[in-house]
Amino acid sequence: MSRTFRIALAGNPNCGKTSVFNALTGARQHVGNYPGVTVESKSGRFSLGDMEIEVIDLPGVYSLSSSSPEEEVVFQELTKPGIDLILNVVDSTIPRRSLYLTTQLAELHIPMLLAFNMTDDAKKKGLKFNIPKLEKYFGSPIVQTVGCRSNGIKPLTDQLAKTLNELDDHGVPMLSYGGDIDDAVNAVSEKIDALGCEKYAHVPSRFFAVKLLEHDTCVMRINEFASVHGEVENQISHLWDKHAINADTFMADRRYAMLAGACRDTISMTQEKRREISDKIDMIVTNKILGLPLFLIIIYLTFWFTFVCAELPMGWIESFFGWLADFIKSIWAPDKWPFMRSLITDGIISGVGGVIVFLPNILFLFFAIAILEDSGYMSRAAFVMDGIMRKFGLQGRSFVPLVLGFGCTVPAIMATRTIESERDRAVTIMVLPLMSCGARLPIYALIIPAFFPVKYHATVMWLIYVIGVAAALTAARILKGTLFKGDGEVYLMELPPYRLPTAKSLMLHMWDRGRMYLHKAGTIILATSVILFICNTFPVKKDFSQDYDAQITRLEKSRMDEAEKREKTAALKNARQAELMEYTISGRIGRGLEPVFRPIGFDWKITTASIAALSAKEIFVSQLGILYAEGETDEESVPLRRQLMKNYTPLQGFCIMLFCLLSVPCLATLAITRRELNSWLMMACEGAGLFLLAYVTTFIVYQLGTFFRIGTVFIG
Amino acid sequence: MGEKEKTKSFSGSGKPEKELTLAELPVGTTATILKVMPGTRGRKKFADVGLVAGTELLIEAHAPFGGLIRVKVMETSMALHKDDAANIVMTQEEEN
Repeated sequence: MSRTFRIALAGNPNCGKTSVFNALTGARQHVGNYPGVTVESKSGRFSLGDMEIEVIDLPGVYSLSSSSPEEEVVFQELTKPGIDLILNVVDSTIPRRSLYLTTQLAELHIPMLLAFNMTDDAKKKGLKFNIPKLEKYFGSPIVQTVGCRSNGIKPLTDQLAKTLNELDDHGVPMLSYGGDIDDAVNAVSEKIDALGCEKYAHVPSRFFAVKLLEHDTCVMRINEFASVHGEVENQISHLWDKHAINADTFMADRRYAMLAGACRDTISMTQEKRREISDKIDMIVTNKILGLPLFLIIIYLTFWFTFVCAELPMGWIESFFGWLADFIKSIWAPDKWPFMRSLITDGIISGVGGVIVFLPNILFLFFAIAILEDSGYMSRAAFVMDGIMRKFGLQGRSFVPLVLGFGCTVPAIMATRTIESERDRAVTIMVLPLMSCGARLPIYALIIPAFFPVKYHATVMWLIYVIGVAAALTAARILKGTLFKGDGEVYLMELPPYRLPTAKSLMLHMWDRGRMYLHKAGTIILATSVILFICNTFPVKKDFSQDYDAQITRLEKSRMDEAEKREKTAALKNARQAELMEYTISGRIGRGLEPVFRPIGFDWKITTASIAALSAKEIFVSQLGILYAEGETDEESVPLRRQLMKNYTPLQGFCIMLFCLLSVPCLATLAITRRELNSWLMMACEGAGLFLLAYVTTFIVYQLGTFFRIGTVFIG
Repeated sequence: MGEKEKTKSFSGSGKPEKELTLAELPVGTTATILKVMPGTRGRKKFADVGLVAGTELLIEAHAPFGGLIRVKVMETSMALHKDDAANIVMTQEEEN
């Protein structure tokens, strides 16, 4: 019979914990979110002999002080019953800092196994460990690993099996804080013991006593301990009066002192401290003069990699879906279930396919981001950009997502996860849709050549992008000064030494994001494709203003020139299509909303197309094409441009672009906003706010333009 | 080690000591934390990464457009904001 165990993987950020996790579990992992916070939860399974082991990969933390969402998550997870073992990954190149967390984990009195990771680097640094002595100090077995490489995992799994078999006689000691503090801790522990609290019976009262004396927010919040608070305050003032010990940081002080003692006895430095390669790289990368240009080059390369290299596989996917639709059409007779046939081919396949086409973009982008993140460059980039971004109420880590927003807002929002401060992250997400995304490009590409002479094309395009950036930065400032006001969290960011990312971790990272994206395509995009298709099809008009079919038949029989005949037939078919369209739900909605949109220069057709563009911005072009009944339309279609020139002024053209730029982003963006901010309200505010911004801005531009007669006639 | 440094910086070996905040120290200097001002926000967070009295720091860099300071503490590089660094009082033994 197999036995099951639950082990928790704990350690500092950047200690190599994730690579240990990946090496242990391989692809058998589950990535999710902790409820209410944007901290990623990861768990995985693997078997070891006859043991089935579940691993919980806790977020990387420096301490158990609940001073960040990550630390709170770790606290909650570790105080839940049912954890058989804590596997504490220790970066052995910086033992003092890494073992600080260990001293707190030990207080939970759960059996521990310490993995001294990156011992190869530690050896190079000249660090020597007296392992038996250290094991005795922490009362836990220690295994030395080399991290990254999977061949380094064997000693760990061996030791893990051994430890799990001997769980009962673990000897994790209670560390002493020195007489004065221990007295206070004991006094509080006794009070907690007296409560006889069932819920936390598995956690030593000493752990909570220490945390209460530290005024730890998570433990202070536990209702069961409310009656102990009086005693805690007594002890704190006693410590201050008698020993001049300041309450909030003395535990940290003592822990470091304990570690200093432990390390002096067990760790020796054989080599003189030398400047490491990592520091040499940083002399250039975070240099005051070179830092910024280097950063811009790296961002450009990321961009290039994402959008240029992904073109080829995107072409494959596009042709695959085209082929699939044609194939289904070829084996499915048009007269059999005609509605289902076109729903599947024109609705679902083209809708979902149109989104899956961007999968290579997503995969390539996150591959590049994973390289930047895993190598340690991302925190340097944040360091370099922080000064500029702060002027706009953002911070260094906001920059990369904002730039990615030019590509696609959805992955850009996913990339904001690197921003630790919740508030800065929320502001970044909220303003991201204003960075003109790639899907809006077809709209500009359709409209600009229709209304502006060639010499102004680039300028108009540039102007649109600049308006977007300016709006985003202004909005960020305003949001930071109003809704998201406050001092902000304390900024403390580690710049870990540069490391070579492992292929395995890069692939896993890429796959995680890719899977999320595919999930979105399979749910929300699928649903909107169906809805949009229905809106564009029903109700079907039966009585037309003229008998198109009869006219077409008559034309075909006539003795006209073939080319002329074809042209006239097409014109008739288009006119028929336009009538059909106007009769459908989309057409009626457009007609109904026309009065609202007329003040910004839109007629019902533009209105309908703008609404359809909610599902994906590119749809604006194809929907407008359907409405002007030019059949299949893309941004290169000339007849549609001629139609536009006939029906609208350059001012209206500009207003259309302005509205598309500023207005409500696509549904996929809204959906990801809701998920990442974990709030329907925020999503609704985002949508409503952007709509208002777009409407008001476009209204002003259109009305002023009309009044001063700017762009009401053709230029050039 | 923390204890040892503490006694060293408090011993007053006859040399005059300079007191400055972390925000004022130039790049490349090594100094020891004398105290973190009480009431500093994030004091506990700083303490957790080793920014406690008695720790020796190396000021590694200032970010290009101001704002951030990079220090080496306990063998790790940490970036923190100048406003927060102004609450950390440092002590440095004069060279001569």
